[in-house]
Order: sequence, then structure tokens, then C-alpha cells
Amino acid sequence: MHGRDVVLDNVSITYGNGFTAVHPTSLTIASGEFFSILGPSGCGKTTLLRAISGFIFPSTGRILIGGEDMGTRGPNQRPTALIFQNLALFPLMPVWENVAFGLEARGVDRRTRQRRAEELLELVALTGQGHKKPSELSGGQRQRVAIARALAVEPAVLLLDEPLSALDLKLRQHMRAELRAIQRKTGITFIYITHDQGEALTMSDRVAVMKDGVIEQVGTGDEVYGRPATPFVASFVGETNIFRGTVAGLEGGMAVVDTPLGRMRGRSPQPLSPGDSAMVFVRPEHVALANGQQPPLANLVAAEVERRDLEGPFVNVFLNAQGREIAMHLTNTGDAGRALVGRHTVGFRCEDAIVLPSGPLARTGRDMVDHA
Amino acid sequence: MRRLVRTYGGALTTVFVFATLVWAIMLIVLPQLSMLDMALRTPLRAKDSSIAQTVMRDAQTCQAVLDTYRDEVGAAGDGGLAVPSLSAPPLATPSLPSPSPGGSGGGLPYIIQCDRATTAQPLVRDAGESAWLNTEYEIETLAVDITADLGTQYAQAQAVRDAAAALYQELVAAEAELSPYGFRNFVQIFKPLVIPLSADARAQEAGEFGTWVKEAIGLRYERDGVVYERVTLTTLLRTILFAAVATALALVACYPIACNLALRAAPHRAVWLFVALLVPYATVEIMRVYAWVTIVDNNGLLNRLLDLFGVVDIEGGDFVAFKRSPLTVFTVIVYTYILFMVFPIYNVMSTLDRNQIEAAHDLGSSTWRVHRRIIIPHAKPGIAVGCIATFMLSAGAFSVPRIVSSGLQGEWFSQTIYNKFFESQNTNLGSAYAFAYTVICFVIVGLFMWVMRARLKDFMRA
Repeated sequence: MHGRDVVLDNVSITYGNGFTAVHPTSLTIASGEFFSILGPSGCGKTTLLRAISGFIFPSTGRILIGGEDMGTRGPNQRPTALIFQNLALFPLMPVWENVAFGLEARGVDRRTRQRRAEELLELVALTGQGHKKPSELSGGQRQRVAIARALAVEPAVLLLDEPLSALDLKLRQHMRAELRAIQRKTGITFIYITHDQGEALTMSDRVAVMKDGVIEQVGTGDEVYGRPATPFVASFVGETNIFRGTVAGLEGGMAVVDTPLGRMRGRSPQPLSPGDSAMVFVRPEHVALANGQQPPLANLVAAEVERRDLEGPFVNVFLNAQGREIAMHLTNTGDAGRALVGRHTVGFRCEDAIVLPSGPLARTGRDMVDHA
Repeated sequence: MRRLVRTYGGALTTVFVFATLVWAIMLIVLPQLSMLDMALRTPLRAKDSSIAQTVMRDAQTCQAVLDTYRDEVGAAGDGGLAVPSLSAPPLATPSLPSPSPGGSGGGLPYIIQCDRATTAQPLVRDAGESAWLNTEYEIETLAVDITADLGTQYAQAQAVRDAAAALYQELVAAEAELSPYGFRNFVQIFKPLVIPLSADARAQEAGEFGTWVKEAIGLRYERDGVVYERVTLTTLLRTILFAAVATALALVACYPIACNLALRAAPHRAVWLFVALLVPYATVEIMRVYAWVTIVDNNGLLNRLLDLFGVVDIEGGDFVAFKRSPLTVFTVIVYTYILFMVFPIYNVMSTLDRNQIEAAHDLGSSTWRVHRRIIIPHAKPGIAVGCIATFMLSAGAFSVPRIVSSGLQGEWFSQTIYNKFFESQNTNLGSAYAFAYTVICFVIVGLFMWVMRARLKDFMRA
């Protein structure tokens, strides 16, 4: 099995009712890459996936796989295989027939199909389960059957549409590792769709963050998380504290922003000029108690401790600064933050803060509750 | 049962169980049992005792007629007038006497009862056998000599009457000893009948495919230059074949409809298609069938259309006789029962996860393979239910073949049964036919389910 590269050349997709699900997008996914498309539901990521697999055709632009223009080739004529969100295993067939289904369609004889199915089941650690019906397997096993079934047709590109979303947390974490291992073993290009940033960051070589049919940023997990390009990416990937303000000045790659909580400094990857409205983003793990820090923290805010949420490996401390909530992560080295009450000064380094021009943010859990 | 009691309480459960039992016994078990009882009994009029009784009554009537005749003409005439009859002498009659034109002898009344007043009566026997009342029970051969004078005729009638009455008493007593049940009526299904054919007609039919098939499977044969056909059995088998063909046609027509409705059409379009399918059912079945008659009639819509385009010429007696074609009956049956096929298939198909279809396509399947491996296996219970419903409805169809063919095609078995019950008033034979037909259809349905590997449980889905 060999991966092939996927090139989207100015692809846009508009539905019959006039809704544009994907705005003109150009993207190159390298051969053998584990590439994730991350975005909230309705952002067009599934549409993009269906266009790559051939269920729908782009309104403009071309899709090239291995340098070949896919044109109007149907899903059964593309070197891709799709793993559906609900897996879509064939419930009436035994597992081995499920796995060998693609070979059956290619006219491979029964004996070869059986042998190949057994090999693939071995690859996904389901040796000897071929005679069972999918309904007799557990969620994780079904997941692996779906993977084996897709791999059976030796696709150059494997497309995965949130295949782990139905699994429970432990299994999901385990399957992440397995998917990554299978991808390394086979060398196939994986395109993985998810709304779960944890999945995207742990597995992918590169991540594209998508919003309203537009890819906002493409980069490695570290880049997307550590150096978000837009307010949306900053707020969608991971948790973040946001301070709105106005740019007061620029000093050597650093922007100075006046916020209601005081003057803050942060890295400014994009050109800003004084007077612009801007947002300061800082991750909760970069926020710390100010006293005793050496060298002293550049940005300081006085706030009242409001609540402590124990997450396990770390503790989430929420503070109230003039009605604004600030989140701070403390590594849980034993009852961390348990005794933390009252008024404190917290702060963060200016290298850890990012200043971006104001823009739309991702909807938070609170927004969703408010809208509902 | 325990769950029922827990859910509805003891009193309500008792009512449920009672109502179910009443329904099952009154509407299923008892009617079928009485049907079977009727089917196993020899028809009363075919019994030897009934024949003796008929002879007795005929002789009595003959006497009464002679009395009347004597009163009217006896005084004026010479009293030696014969009561004429044109029928052949009774002993030479191989079958039931056929009516002959009466009153040919100078305005005299025709008295068939005097012809029939003879102990030389044929008895009802199975095919190939024959028996006569006088020889079977070794009684004197008596008859009314219609050329004799009235007094002699009267005395002869009395003798026949006495002999028949004595035999009747004897036979009734003897028959009471015997079991009233037997399989005679069922055997009648296989009975061959003589087909009277002219040489021309025979030559013409010999070349037909239907004749060849009937001969190949023994439904039709020739013995001593006479053509015999097992007419009832032929009708039965042909009806089952036709019902199966109609079912197959309905399936072919409905599968794509159900597929489109369930898997492709947007919900609001599906509603309109269903409305279109339901509208015909807003009319009474008879009206629906008659509507077709106006279309397929010799002077109907189709022929007039063809006439308009100059294909046929109705006035010149050149038209397409749609009423003679079984295809017309099939078409109307498919139209009449289309919903019974579409609904179950649609129901099951709409539960199919469309992702499975996409997955199969994505794995390289052609549309044909997707149907064969994914859609049809999933829809099988619905297909089975639809086929069974359509087959049973077609097999029992009465009005469609009756009205559409206007008697221009071989009758369907449902018509045969109807005729036995209501035309020839032979309830016993009708019951036997109906019961046998029910059992045969049940067996066919059972076989079909076995072939489809459909279990009753699956039907809950459809």
C-alpha cells in the first residue's frame, strides 16, 4: 500500500439551494501524511471530505489525487476509502465478508478474499473473529472492522469522518494510538475529520482549522495550538483567556494593548497599528500566581478566586477580575490550589500572550447554552 | 401472559383473552371446520338414495299429470291417446335425459316426468365408471310406456313409484350405517372431461403452446379418438401460475418505486407519490376495475386511440382484443394491488442506513451490486410480505378476471369455486375446491418463505 498526495485546487462547493458549504480552498496534503480537518459542526468539513471521496463534485476547481484530476469520477472509481461516522458496516454479512466486500466488487475469487480478510483482521487484532456478525462485536472491534474493510481495497487515501465519536473516552484514546500505528505501518495518506481538537492534535502531522467553509489555518499541532493565526483558531483549539482592547503601541514584534484590566503585552504575528481594536489571547496553563516569580511576569491582573475545578492531572482555577473570568491551570502536584482563596495577583509572560486583530470567536459552551 | 396481567390487570386481560378466543374460534376455526365437513361429505343429490327418491317423485308427478290430462281430455277423447315424448327410450340413454321440444304431438303437454319415471336411472359415479339404479340394486326394470293408454301408464307409474320408494327406504337405512365422509369431492379436481372438438378445431389447437404444455404434464390426453382434459386441475394450476406471474410483475414494477421513495426522494416528494398511489383506492374496487374495462374494451379508449392513429379500424371490425389477453388481467391486478407491494417494501427499505449504500459504492461496487448485496438483502422481509400479500390477493381475485375478460378467457379458480357454490348449487364440491385451494396456497406461501429464508419475526419490520 502506498499513499498519494491530495491537492485541492481552488475547490468550492455550492449546494443546489444556493448555500456555499465550502468557499474556494486550495490545499496540498502530502503523500503518507496524517492530516486532520478540525472545525465545529456545520463548518463544511464533511462536505469537503465527501467531495474528495467523490460523493459530490466541486462547483469550481479541481481535486487531484496522486497528480490525477478526479473530475467527475464516482466514489467507486477513486483510490480513496471512506470510514463513516456510524461505520456503516453491513449488518447482514459476517465480519470477513464485510472486510472483503471491496475485493468482491473487484472480482477477486472467494478463496483469495477469505485469505486477505484474515490477514487484514490480523492487522487490526481481530484474528479469528471473521465468522461473527458485526452486531456480536464490541464498539472498538466494530471500529477496527471498518478500518480493515477500508484498507482491503488498498486505498491511496483513507478518509475518516469522525469515526471515534461514538466510542467512550478510554476506547477513544486507545483507538487514537491504533489509528496512528496503522497509518505508520501502511503509509497511506489519512484525512481525518473531527470536531474534537484533542483527536486532531494527538494524531495529526498537520491540522487544518475550518470555519464557515473557509480554512482559517493549516499547520502542525504545535503551530495551530501555540501560534493561532486568527481569533477563531485561538478560541476553538484549546482553552484560552481573551482580553479585548486597543493597540497602544508596537515594540519589536510585541504589541502593547490597553484593556479594561490594564496594559498588556504580547507577541504580534500579524501587522497591527496603534488604535486598532485587538484581542490578547493567553492559555490558562500560562497564567500563574504573580508572587515569587523570577523574572517577574510582564502582565499582571488582580483578581478574586471564585472556583476551583479538579480535572485530575491539573486544577482549573477561575478568578474574577472586574467581572471578567480568568482561567488558570495549576499542575496538580498534590492538593494544588486547594487553599487558594481571596484576592491574588495573577500574571503571564508577554512571550506567552498573542495579540491578534479583533475577529469572530468560536462559540463557547456558555454561548451554546444561551442560544438554546 | 403474566406481562399482560401486570400491564392491564386481571379483568382486562380476561376480556382480551376471551375476545381473542372468540375471534379465533368464530372467525377462523369454526368456518374452516364447517367448510372441511362440507367438503368431505358426498353431495346429497349424488347419493344413490337421492336418485331413488327422485325417481319416486318423478313417478308421482307423472301420475298427477296423467290425472289432470285425463280430466281435461279424457271425456272427449278415446282415452287411448299416448303422451308423446321425443326423447329416446330410457334404457338407451347413456347420460341424463336432455330436454326435448315439447308439445309436438298435436298440442299435447310434454311430460318429461313420465320419461324419467324409470328404474333404469344412471347413478353418479367417478370418472370411468358407470352404474344404473336397476342393475346396481337388482330391482326390476320398470318404465312408463308412453305409447300405452293412460290407464296402463298410470299403473306403470305406480309400479315405478312403489319400487323406487321401497329402494329409497332401504338405501337411506343403509347409508345411515356408512360414514358420511369421503374424499370424492377432492378427487373431482382431477376429473377429466370430454372436450368435444371438430377436426378443424383440433388441428388448430394441436399446434398451440398451451396444448403442448397441457399434454406434456398430463392435463390433456387423447383416448380412442376423444380428447379429454382435466379442466378443473388445469384451471387451478393456471390460476396459480397467473397469480405468480402477476406477483412477479407487481414486484418488478414496485421495487423501483419503493427504492426511489425510500432511498432517494426528498420526504415532501415521497408524500406526493404516496398520494398518487392512494388516490385510486378512493374508489370502490368494482369501479376501479370497470374503469379499466372502458380502457381495454373493443371500442374502448385504447382501441380508439389506435384507431385515431390509423393502426386499427374499429368500424371495419379490426381492433385489438385486449380482453382476450391475460396480460390485460395482469396489468389490472398489478394496478389494483400495487399498494400491497409498495408499502411493505418501502417500510423496510426506509430503515436502511443510507451510509451503507454509500459505503458499498465507496468500496468500488456498481449500482447493481449495491442492490444485490445491500438493498435487496435488507428489504427481503418487505419483499416477502409484499409478494405474499399480492400473491394471495391475486390468487383469490374474482372481480378482476371476471370483469376484465368478460368471459373471453379461461376462468380463474376463484370463479370455478364461485360457480360451484352459486351456479350449480353444489356446496360440497365448492367447499372441497375452496379448502383444497386454501391449503395449496398455504403450502406455496410456506415454500416461498422457506426459499426467502424469511421468518415470521422479520415480518414485524415490514
